[in-house]
Amino acid sequence: MSDETAAASVAASEGGEGHAGHEHHWEVSWAPLATVAGIVFLIPLTFASWFVYESTLLAVAFAGIGTPLLLAGISKWVAEGMSQKALVPGVAAIGLPIFIISEVLIFLSLFASYWMMRLGADTWPPEGSAEMPVLLPLVMTALLVSSSVTIHVAEVKMDRKDIAGFRTWLYVTIALGILFLGCTTYEYSHLVSIDFVPSTNAFSTAFFSITGFHASHVLVGLGIFIAVAIPALAGRIDKTFVTCASIYWHFVDVVWFFVVSQIYFW
Amino acid sequence: MSTETTTTTTATSRFNIWEWIFTTDHKRIGILYLIGSIAAFIVAGLMALLIRIEQSSPSTLLVDPSEYNVWLYFHGAAMILAFLIPGLTGFAANFFLPLMIGAKDVAFPRINAFSVWLFYGAILLALLSFVIPDGPDIMWTAYPPYSIITEGNTAFYVFTVHLLGFSSILGAVNFLITVIYMRAPGMGWNQLNLFVWTTVAAFVLQLVFIPVLAAAVTLLLFDKYLGTHFFNPDMGGDVLLYQNLFWFYSHPAVYVIFLPAVGILFDIIASMGKNRIFNYKACVYGGIGGIVLITGEVWVHHLYVSGMPDWIRIGQMVTTLLISVPVGLIVLSMWGTLYKASITYNTAMHFTAACFFLVLLGGLTGIPLAMTAITVHLSETSFVHAHFHFIMAMFSTFALFAGIYYWFPKMTGRMAEGVLGRIGFWANMVGVNLAFWPLFIIGVQGMPRRYPNYERFPQFEPYHDVATIGAFIIAVGMACTLINWIYSAFWGEPAPANPWNSKSLEWTHTANPPGPGNFSEDPVLDENWSPYDYEAK
Repeated sequence: MSDETAAASVAASEGGEGHAGHEHHWEVSWAPLATVAGIVFLIPLTFASWFVYESTLLAVAFAGIGTPLLLAGISKWVAEGMSQKALVPGVAAIGLPIFIISEVLIFLSLFASYWMMRLGADTWPPEGSAEMPVLLPLVMTALLVSSSVTIHVAEVKMDRKDIAGFRTWLYVTIALGILFLGCTTYEYSHLVSIDFVPSTNAFSTAFFSITGFHASHVLVGLGIFIAVAIPALAGRIDKTFVTCASIYWHFVDVVWFFVVSQIYFW
Repeated sequence: MSTETTTTTTATSRFNIWEWIFTTDHKRIGILYLIGSIAAFIVAGLMALLIRIEQSSPSTLLVDPSEYNVWLYFHGAAMILAFLIPGLTGFAANFFLPLMIGAKDVAFPRINAFSVWLFYGAILLALLSFVIPDGPDIMWTAYPPYSIITEGNTAFYVFTVHLLGFSSILGAVNFLITVIYMRAPGMGWNQLNLFVWTTVAAFVLQLVFIPVLAAAVTLLLFDKYLGTHFFNPDMGGDVLLYQNLFWFYSHPAVYVIFLPAVGILFDIIASMGKNRIFNYKACVYGGIGGIVLITGEVWVHHLYVSGMPDWIRIGQMVTTLLISVPVGLIVLSMWGTLYKASITYNTAMHFTAACFFLVLLGGLTGIPLAMTAITVHLSETSFVHAHFHFIMAMFSTFALFAGIYYWFPKMTGRMAEGVLGRIGFWANMVGVNLAFWPLFIIGVQGMPRRYPNYERFPQFEPYHDVATIGAFIIAVGMACTLINWIYSAFWGEPAPANPWNSKSLEWTHTANPPGPGNFSEDPVLDENWSPYDYEAK
């Protein structure tokens, strides 16, 4: 849910700089409205059509309207953000960590719910739980930690004006993130095949909610990286935007340590 | 100083609808918030009127209980989430906070536009509740297990909360950064308007507590539609978990509403009384800061009768009563500011004075509800209903209305001091007291909240009838107020540059209404400047 934030973190008001007082004009941008319209169609309306009213036709129609609106809004937003100067340059790199405070609280609420269930249970894991793998979470940890290193290397390259190097390490980071989600997909399909689904028991409830919520954040992080990578193909890089994307990615990485320690190895 | 700029026409060159829809300017976004929240207020107010008509008879009068539940759902959810919070932190903060600190705009104007449209998206979902099949019928609290087993569309409620929550969190990031980095040169932390401080406090609360509500409703969504068992005790879940998560946000939400309301009142009494703020630092760091620190530790008092060990009840009683200390500091500052002030009693000040009375009643009736022994008796009665309406519906709404009157010349360049506004005020003031006093009385005698019918308690009917008459008087007052605003916005008497002779930056340094960029020249202040720099009395 946060790709807009990071995309917007480089948002600027073109009237902010370089104009004397009286020459201001009303600032406009259609990007925020298009993004909101995309979100409203793509998430609430599509979800309700599919799950509440069980209409595939409506769900596909709403998703079909929402997706292009969302993509158009974000693209326009990134383009404006990268071409205009912020009112306070670079301050988005401080705004994003403030936003992350609220992300921390939402993960904390999920973990608290899990702890309540687990500590209140007579036996754990409850009947019907699948055996948790040992190797796979270690591999996923290795993937995510190395991706945090590679995005840092990319930032170093950017600071040294090595655009080709920046791009290469960004691509490596994206590839590692995709591999991570591949592992998640593999694991989910395996678990579903042995009938361990969200409704199985209390552990499956917590397992799928927490890992799924984390995976959705990995997906958002990848989305932000793609929004960084596309202009970078043409050699355009916004330092604040890259810093924000990187901070977000490190945050997702740190959350993963909690997921691994609480879900897999406890 | 732009004192020579007197009337409306600085920026209103030609009305262009796209300049409003696609705007990223904080003042226009503020007006969009105002329009949206007043629209929500009107619809939710009509729901309240329908609820009161239904309750004027002990038996079924208008609708069956399930439709009544949809009214209750919309009234509660819209009043809190779509009127009070966006009205106070959306409209008032957007329009006036950047002006008060001397900023050209907020730090992230496009995120600001994103926030306001998320708010409209949420209003759209809430309004759709009336037309979709099986609209949500789960109150604004959406307690499981009912919200999970109902045929109603709980998903729309969840997404309404998601959109508003996301909007508020982004607003919090935006305004915190704005206040930290965009104050005018020379403006120190102890020179901020109290409205700025209270808004900062409200946004800190939003940032920290909304995610917990978002998590709670997300788990509700998972339980209802994806088959998980977070709130299902048969499968190892816990139904009280939802209530804890929900009130962990929704108690602080009271202060998200209360604090900006208090900030507006402070700015009004200082301007109208031409007096400094009494005990500024004690009010800011003790009062506002104290509320922010304590408000996260009191939510369990909403669960007094849901089942918990006694020692938790006692602890929660202590923290709940403890919040009277910072609130007391704030009230002390308010009365101290009024002391020996030469007060101008215009419409804004009428609403402000009414707030002093309403907050006293709402506050004092909160004390018995905090006491565990008494609250077991009063819980789920209309005493609770009356208590929180005095704080939320009356105090906060009156404060917002006072703010709209106070800043009306700033927003429109015109005055709204007509006699219709006074009639509106007095009708509201009489109406709210008539509507809610009877509920205290029958609440103590055992009238349950939320019931459409009460055939077993026919003795309560006269009290309900008085309350219903009060509701209609409120409706007349609201109609007068809204008509007054709309009329005055277009045809009112042109306002002088600084009609209240206020020392606050939004009055001394900007036009009525301010154009793009707000300030014709960037304000530069020194350590002697203060928004409350009135001659010592």
